[in-house]
Amino acid sequence: MEFVFSQLAGFGEAFVALVIDPLTYVYLIVSVFLGITFGALPGLTATLAVTILTGFFGNKIPLDYSLIALLGAYVGAIYGGSYPSILLNIPGTAASAATAMDGHPLAKAGRGGEALGLTTTASFIGTLIGTVALLIFVWVLLLISQNIASPEKALLALFGILLSGTLMSEDLVIKGWIAGLIGLAMAMVGLDPLLSEPRYTFGWSYMLSGFQVVPVLMGAFAVPQIIDGMRHMEAGKLVANPGRILPNMASIRRYLPTISRSGVIGTGVGALPGVGEDVAGWVSYGVGKSVSKEGHKFGKGSIEGLLSSETANNACIGGALIPLLVLGIPGSPPAAALMGAFKINNVIPGPTIDPAIILRVVAIMVLASFTMFIMGLFTARVFIKILRIPQTVFLPIVMVLTAIGSFSVGGGINDLYLMLGVGIVAYFLNLLKYPIAPLVIGVILGGLFDETFRRSLLISQGDLMVFVSRPGAAILLLLNVSLILSQFPAVQRGFRRLRRKPA
Amino acid sequence: MEDIEDKAVLRARDFWAAIVLMAVSLFFLWKTSEIPLFGGNRAGVSSAAWYNSAAIVPLGIFIALFVLSVVLLVITIREGGAQRALTSVGIGWDRVEALRFVTLAVILFSYIACLVPRVDFIISSGLLITAMIYGYRGGDTARMKLAAGILFVAGLYALIRHLPQAEWAAHDDDWLVLALWLALTIWVLVQARADRVLRFVPVIAVVAPIILVTAMAFGFRQNIPNRGGLLFEHIQYHYYVTLRPLWRD
Repeated sequence: MEFVFSQLAGFGEAFVALVIDPLTYVYLIVSVFLGITFGALPGLTATLAVTILTGFFGNKIPLDYSLIALLGAYVGAIYGGSYPSILLNIPGTAASAATAMDGHPLAKAGRGGEALGLTTTASFIGTLIGTVALLIFVWVLLLISQNIASPEKALLALFGILLSGTLMSEDLVIKGWIAGLIGLAMAMVGLDPLLSEPRYTFGWSYMLSGFQVVPVLMGAFAVPQIIDGMRHMEAGKLVANPGRILPNMASIRRYLPTISRSGVIGTGVGALPGVGEDVAGWVSYGVGKSVSKEGHKFGKGSIEGLLSSETANNACIGGALIPLLVLGIPGSPPAAALMGAFKINNVIPGPTIDPAIILRVVAIMVLASFTMFIMGLFTARVFIKILRIPQTVFLPIVMVLTAIGSFSVGGGINDLYLMLGVGIVAYFLNLLKYPIAPLVIGVILGGLFDETFRRSLLISQGDLMVFVSRPGAAILLLLNVSLILSQFPAVQRGFRRLRRKPA
Repeated sequence: MEDIEDKAVLRARDFWAAIVLMAVSLFFLWKTSEIPLFGGNRAGVSSAAWYNSAAIVPLGIFIALFVLSVVLLVITIREGGAQRALTSVGIGWDRVEALRFVTLAVILFSYIACLVPRVDFIISSGLLITAMIYGYRGGDTARMKLAAGILFVAGLYALIRHLPQAEWAAHDDDWLVLALWLALTIWVLVQARADRVLRFVPVIAVVAPIILVTAMAFGFRQNIPNRGGLLFEHIQYHYYVTLRPLWRD
């Protein structure tokens, strides 16, 4: 009980400090607005919003304000994706793909305003559920993580990359793993962390410091989006008059169990390393469809379906921050961009993180969700107007934003070359249906994996049993091996046979 | 039916991708062999044992990448990707899509590699925005070619005339790019009678880079590309000499 009170007191202090600072509101309103705009414009994503703002705010203002800007944009963008999903039947972000299934039929039936009001409320409640989970579980995991040493860290980083590769693959799982390996390989460039041995620098001094995170993020997420989006598309038919955008409290009360369940699912999926809001939305939608009495109405304009996906994708944000803050492993692609911001501010997320930063993150999340809720209800008409801007008009501006953001973080023209190179590779990977998130997570965790793996071997004088002799490491090794084996056709056949037997 | 066709195209692409990945992983395995693995000796000083070598993790990564590429190749051969890839063009790109990608690659390369380091950021970004909106709105291939051609000419001139960094401050390329931008803008406005959105292009192309560059340089006080550019050097001068004293004094 004492622990809970001390947590609440710490959160209260951080919250009050933010509330009484007028600059908080400036950053919050601007970033949430930009986030919703990015989310609402099909072709721009939440990851791109956080990445581009990292280029702008990452290391130019105090960390507190840059966190407000980035978290505000993150929360806003995930919510903003629901606008085109409902009104155009085009998901603004991948996270809102499941929202379109029921949101658009509702809009076509003249209930667009009601659907938007419900998604606004559900997103708000979802974000709060994720944030509460963050406040509670981050401390429990922090206590556990104090016992994590190099072998566990190495295996955890590997697990993050493998899991992200497995769950984010649209096509073959092997493609996700290849993307993760490409990311890991990119992280090997430069001086190695233990012996300062130059690797793959090709005699170019710029490469000695390795690939910078922000240009890689910009290249991986922005450039393919720009190349892919610069094509003529007939504007989607906007539902003419969505009606009044108000939260329907009766529906919210009625569907509170659905909202709570989706919030928990979203947080849980978010806490898995490298698995994003889109997976959270679909998992929650799938669970909702199978357990709901109204399951047969899903996909035909069901409010329960709408709430299932929209609550989960916003709850995923808090969940994704748990592994990021506790273990230094991003829980989703936008969290990877957030990790880039931490890195350029010399803050190392993980067991040694300053607890005050965690409390501030929680306080910012609460304020960001309130801002999103208010903006969603009172300025929705502005965002509906923004939906009419064609991709070919805003993507060139995004290119300029990306160039100047990438340049200013490192301050060198070489970063722009890196961004373009990574962008072209990422475009082809997208074309071949390789997921980009494992690649980025590989780049971010590659250094950690290299250092901790070799340190483990150094301590054990090359004895590989170091990865089995510690209970935590043994469990993680088992998880890694199981994850790999589970994709072997022979193992899958065996499981199918086992499943059939009891029946 | 379309799904089956899409999958066949994807497997043909995967076939080529697997071969490229195998070649890349073999190349980097060879590069990794240059890093001492088994206790290399440098200038009489023995370096680390195998388990602490800087080569151990990259070696694992590239071996794994090679193995996975082989597995991918086997999958594509089993699913008919190799046959399709070898018997026809097979990768599913039509002429328009290929042209769209090539023109965009030319535009982005000219902008990032040639113009941004050498030409005023506002001017080069203004030209980029104008060319991209005009070129890709409507899906007309002639427009795409015109947009890419203009960026290519501008980029090539800047690159050839001022290749070394010591010459990046010169302004003749700024003038050329400005002239090309003005000419393209006039052309866009002539065409704007048929497309209302094109009327706003000049405004967007001027306002967006100016806001971004001034916010970055004076708001966040960050480095921006080409501070000595034709327009920005005047903006910077008047900010520090004319405007700033107004509130500093």
